[in-house]
Amino acid sequence: MFTIAQYWKKSATYKVFSSLGLETKHFISTIGQIAQMGLRMTKRIFIDGVQFRELFVQCERFGISSLPITLSIVGMTSIIVSSQVANEMVKQGGSGLIGMLMTILTVREVGVIMSGFAIISMIGSSLASELATMRVTEQIDAIDVLGVDSVGHLFTPRVLSGIIMMPVIVIIASVFGVILGGVASNIFSGLSYRAYFTSVWLGLYMKDLWVCLTKAAVFGGTIALISCTCGYFAKGGAKGVGLATTKAVVWSFISIVIWDMIFAMLFFF
Amino acid sequence: MSIEVKNLVKSFEDKVIINDISFKVNDGEILAIVGFSGSGKSTVLKLISGLIPYDNGEIITSEGDIAMVFQYSALFDSLNVFENISFALRERKELRKLYNEEQLHEIVAQKLELVGLQGIENKFPSELSGGMQKRVSFARAIVTQPNTILYDEPTAGLDPMSSTLIEDYIVRLKHEINAASIVVTHQMSTITRTADRVIMLYDGKIVFEGTPDELLKQDTPYTKQFVTASLEGPMQMKA
Repeated sequence: MFTIAQYWKKSATYKVFSSLGLETKHFISTIGQIAQMGLRMTKRIFIDGVQFRELFVQCERFGISSLPITLSIVGMTSIIVSSQVANEMVKQGGSGLIGMLMTILTVREVGVIMSGFAIISMIGSSLASELATMRVTEQIDAIDVLGVDSVGHLFTPRVLSGIIMMPVIVIIASVFGVILGGVASNIFSGLSYRAYFTSVWLGLYMKDLWVCLTKAAVFGGTIALISCTCGYFAKGGAKGVGLATTKAVVWSFISIVIWDMIFAMLFFF
Repeated sequence: MSIEVKNLVKSFEDKVIINDISFKVNDGEILAIVGFSGSGKSTVLKLISGLIPYDNGEIITSEGDIAMVFQYSALFDSLNVFENISFALRERKELRKLYNEEQLHEIVAQKLELVGLQGIENKFPSELSGGMQKRVSFARAIVTQPNTILYDEPTAGLDPMSSTLIEDYIVRLKHEINAASIVVTHQMSTITRTADRVIMLYDGKIVFEGTPDELLKQDTPYTKQFVTASLEGPMQMKA
């Protein structure tokens, strides 16, 4: 004979609540892990310093290997936006403002957020799967047993390379995006290069540049920290590596959108 | 005394994996920990090496390094053999400044010679056989002159000849560096060829302690079941 408690445990409502509870627990535990790793890494920087050779290797990986895909995504986004906006602006007599609009859009949003998405797919996933594989093959345990702090050794160069290289990537990608925006405006709506590039500087202020660069550094550090953390805490075999990579990508995407919102509220409202 | 484990307890969530075990290993002695899969053997090594914290009890070790040879070698696949073996010397803050590049090459060559693998410094782990990887991981483990070496299933997955070679190196390292060694295994040849003493774990507890000869005598239901690999006996395999 079933008791009320047994009926309750078999009910759909119980399953929904228990699943929600479990997800909430995972969510809070992931935030805790990311914060814990961030603090531990910072502490190791003060204790052990930075291994510049490894930092250079990671900067090369972060910057050079991701540049083609980042330029492609930012460039194509600029072409899409300018091809749709330029025609309307010309019709409405605002052709002199197209360069300004494209620059504001690219520097404030498109350049940095699209670069972030490109970096997540190229570097974030690679960092997470690399550390997850090291975890499931006991390489991270081996680092610790050899007396080297695995968080300091693995996180420091990767997270610092994200903070250093992301602004560099964003600068290159944004310049590329603005130039391609001009080319697209010329092709699709006959706007002269002179008209476009004269207005490029009109809406650009120093504040835009430093907010853009700060945001890029925060995005780079966040992506690297989240990706490394998800990989570091991977469990199981091949499936665990896959799950850690997916988690790193999803969490990085959500995090940079939240950061973007925070920056917009802080600096542009 | 090099390692002393007193009343060690470890649980994962509600399940007790190690339940109040105590043992000692002296310098220059090899202790084999045996038992069926899931009996908590590897957990004991992880607790001693500090990879996981224990709930209760005490682990007392002499001053110095604890080295561990992992079941699947755990070599860093992005580094070559030289970089793998010299890893601790290059990365540990207190050791980093003690050796220049030339000295590091000398030390690595010396350790490789000890495990019979000269001249492979530039090879990557993927270019080595399983037995060679295991021997490189031995060289990496002893590079800091540890006073305790932990071996997690050192002959698992190796062919009989490679297993014999690895067993010989375990004994050789015992004599070379006089370390206290713990070998987790369920391979009879590894137990008889390397161990001075044996403890058997079941359900997180020590159910036998003695020499390899005493184990082979099968005087208790546990030793009898283990040696004959029988499904009948006091130890039940967990699904």
